[in-house]
Amino acid sequence: MSVSKHRVMLSLDKVSLSYHTGRKTFDHGVHRVLDEVSMDLYEGETLGIMGRNGVGKTTMLRLMAGILAPTRGKVVIQPGKKAALLSLGLGFKPELSGRDNALLSAMLQGSSLEQATTFLDSIAEFSELGESFDAPVKNYSAGMRSRLGFTTALMTHVDILLVDEVLSVGDAHFRGKAQEAMKNRIMGGQTVVFVSHMADQVAKLCNRVIWLDQGKIVDQGDAVEVTDAYNASVAEERKIAAAKKLLR
Amino acid sequence: MYFSQYLRLIDVMARMALRADATKFFLGYIWWVLEPLLFVAVFYFVFSVILGSREPDFIIFLMVGKLTYVWFAKSVTQASTSIVSSKGLVGQIDVPKTLFPMAVIQEGLYKQASVFMLLFVVLLATGYPITATWWYLIPLMLVNYLMIVACGFVGACLVAMVRDFQPLITLGMIFLMFTSGIFWDIRELGDPHKTELLLAVNPLAFLLDAYRQILMHETPPDMPHLLTLGAGFGALVCLMVLAMRRYSQFLALKALTA
Repeated sequence: MSVSKHRVMLSLDKVSLSYHTGRKTFDHGVHRVLDEVSMDLYEGETLGIMGRNGVGKTTMLRLMAGILAPTRGKVVIQPGKKAALLSLGLGFKPELSGRDNALLSAMLQGSSLEQATTFLDSIAEFSELGESFDAPVKNYSAGMRSRLGFTTALMTHVDILLVDEVLSVGDAHFRGKAQEAMKNRIMGGQTVVFVSHMADQVAKLCNRVIWLDQGKIVDQGDAVEVTDAYNASVAEERKIAAAKKLLR
Repeated sequence: MYFSQYLRLIDVMARMALRADATKFFLGYIWWVLEPLLFVAVFYFVFSVILGSREPDFIIFLMVGKLTYVWFAKSVTQASTSIVSSKGLVGQIDVPKTLFPMAVIQEGLYKQASVFMLLFVVLLATGYPITATWWYLIPLMLVNYLMIVACGFVGACLVAMVRDFQPLITLGMIFLMFTSGIFWDIRELGDPHKTELLLAVNPLAFLLDAYRQILMHETPPDMPHLLTLGAGFGALVCLMVLAMRRYSQFLALKALTA
């Protein structure tokens, strides 16, 4: 799919984010998370952001969602459009039932009490929690928790959906179901930004990919090409690390 | 977020927190009134039994002061850590940061409603009449609430920015407990200038005294003073709402990274 004809939904213009860590470690205690990152997000596309842990992927999503503000640069979003993180297990209170937690999550994500209440049945059904839906979340297994979290988050209807490492949840059966649901969203024209350190998943779901390292964009473009380059670089690094180990 | 939705959310968050709290303990909701009553019992034992306070009707005197103080101190202390302890939420959604202290304060308000009910029952049972002076409780409680919200907002921002404020706030509450005339009578200091000064500089001391004047002595509070406090704390609340809206992302960064 060609995305160039589409409108820009959101763009980052030379966005930097840094903060004082309080401890004078390096750079006088200033920690740079993102360094002059510029990018555009087009309507209806599925953009992947890829990179290892701690390179600023989640921070980029938080900037897009308006949770954080850049230290320098600008985040421009089309007027009237809203971007939100698909959040797993938003504010789970372990003593409360899955039903209460789902209600609270839906409301925190912007639903009214009435809307949230009507979601509850479909959340119960999709998450396949059965009678456990009314049991306290503290008795849930990790898989049950993530099923509840994903399903509740899926109810969010926003213009730009920001997804952070979310499809690696639950057992194989539910994982398949979650990916299916996500694909449906994408096919339905939803604009999605998808963050992952798993190249295969990104290549499978995205049209375009940004490769982030040390707070800077290394490469961006066609999903397959960029993920191949990323995989090659990761393999190269592994080889160097192995060689260093041998030399020691 | 619309204002009506914001209010609904505060209400739901508070109710859920109360429900979660109640399921944690065997005695559940009974703790709402049991905890403050135990506070009173401890103070009564120390000041009446051991130290032999000669204040007439000391138990009522103590209840009025202590139960009001606990409302203030608990709400403000918990509100102060509310943004920081909601780190998980703060990192995932862009919500008004006032939501977190407000939910905690609302939780305290629901508990306090039952505590006040209990207090009124005790007052009636011990022979204090309901009089027209009780109407003054409405503005008094309103100002009391505004003071809690204002201090809660300020505390929440301070702790979000520098964690070291948290122990300072706890210490401040102990200081207020000793200086607000909870177990001693501010009007019996022997030096009227000292009484006046304390009432003027310590709003909590003024409010506690006003509750006692209304409930125990059928005397209306100093209304100009009360209204001045109300206006002051009201203005502070407005200022904090604006500041917390303006610096919402900064507070989020601080809560996430400190």
